[in-house]
Amino acid sequence: MTVEIEIRNLFKKYPNGTEALKGVSLDIGRGQFFTLLGPNGAGKSTLVKVMTTLISKDSGSFSISGMNPESNPAKIQHFIGVASQENEIDPTEKVENLLVFQGRLFGLSKAEATKRANELIELFQLSSERNKKASALSGGNKRRLHCALALVHRPQILFLDEPTVGMDPLARANFWDIITMLNRSQGVTVFLTTQYLDEADKHASEMALIVGGEIHFAGSIASFKKMVNPDGDLSLDDSYLKYIKSLNNNSISNNNEE
Amino acid sequence: MKTANAIFINRGIMKLVKQPSAPIMGFAMSLFFLLVYNAGIGGVGNLEAFGTGGYLPFVFPIAIISLAMGSSAGAGQTLNADMQSGYFRRLYLSPAPRWILVVAPMLADTLSSLFFTMLLLAIAALFGVTFQFGMLSVFGILLLSLLWSLTLCGFSAGIMLRTGQHQSAAIVTNAVFPLLFLSTTFLPRELITSEWLLAVSWANPVTYILEGNRYLLAGTSPAEFFYFGLLITAVTSIASVVFALRSAKRIKI
Repeated sequence: MTVEIEIRNLFKKYPNGTEALKGVSLDIGRGQFFTLLGPNGAGKSTLVKVMTTLISKDSGSFSISGMNPESNPAKIQHFIGVASQENEIDPTEKVENLLVFQGRLFGLSKAEATKRANELIELFQLSSERNKKASALSGGNKRRLHCALALVHRPQILFLDEPTVGMDPLARANFWDIITMLNRSQGVTVFLTTQYLDEADKHASEMALIVGGEIHFAGSIASFKKMVNPDGDLSLDDSYLKYIKSLNNNSISNNNEE
Repeated sequence: MKTANAIFINRGIMKLVKQPSAPIMGFAMSLFFLLVYNAGIGGVGNLEAFGTGGYLPFVFPIAIISLAMGSSAGAGQTLNADMQSGYFRRLYLSPAPRWILVVAPMLADTLSSLFFTMLLLAIAALFGVTFQFGMLSVFGILLLSLLWSLTLCGFSAGIMLRTGQHQSAAIVTNAVFPLLFLSTTFLPRELITSEWLLAVSWANPVTYILEGNRYLLAGTSPAEFFYFGLLITAVTSIASVVFALRSAKRIKI
């Protein structure tokens, strides 16, 4: 396996004292569909922000495609596409203009950027919204546009942080069709964080579980299920719940013993 | 990444074109005060201290200074809108150098201010204001205007980035406003009778911009004022850009 994303002993503490990452280490292979699971506040979004250079780490190291993103944040942006939890769109601009502008930022000529914008408008079924201002879009269409913007420059690695929040079932299905197509036919590496474990179970093959800023498990989804429930055949959702509940129970019993 | 820089500056300009209320208001107010001052107390321009040009070229520089004040909050507002919508994060994750995200709206605002300064100059010329050194005077006035405008834009953007509130961009305007009255705004030094006001005016950077412009217009002030004005506004504009860029590092993404 060629390692695409390598993370070693990553620490991050926020100014308010919250230790979001406590020595996280992970290897994610090229072309993998990887999902990072964990409860709210576990450190998932912080890890994505560090790796995409939105925030800086305290210590440790990480590389993407063999490059150190922190030493050249501009260069790494050509390789990665990011769709985070919150919409990142200019509400005053029209759908097509936003996509063309995004393409221009990544060095496409105006003609290339327009062509790419048209492809993505078709792909994300936004044709009827093309000339609408982003502020006039429905919540689901805003999410579609937000995700389309992450794909304009054809990134090799996609960081998807809760990407389908706010999408209706049809939009979600359409979105996953696009992402799985990119993953399977174009070899795009996907790094997904989600609370919709059925989506992770259906599309991802590898996973890591992060709790309280520490990695509790890293491996295939199948092996996680087997670890949690050696005899049965639980879904990822049930396996995850069982594991987290057991952690909470252990924590309670440890506190009682103290 | 020269293209990306140009794209960002173009975006800043287009934002102003689509929402021109701040620069247009700044221009309208400057023009209004220019006409009112000239109509109200223009008669004093017959005094010898005003030179041969009369009162209009004397009071005209205040219109240029107040124009930049009126439109300087635009950069902060563009940045604030991008941050509020989350779009700033998207721009932050582009290959463009990150400093251009902050500098581009400031440059757009400065260019807008220059455009309206040229309009003011054209109007002044129509009303008979002459330029001591012809086009050189025009370029000199535009240069002073550019540096002054950049100074105000930089501090406005920096304060907005630190506070996260677009209203705070007006702090700079409010802070500079009293300086207009602690200077040789309405009368030349020879006619100011208050010793303390004269003393304060020497320490007021606005004085050097006003008098520098007067040197270029009717030639009623010595050249040193223009050179000092250039030096002061060059220093303050660099300081304001540095302040804005340092403020940008504090943004919580």
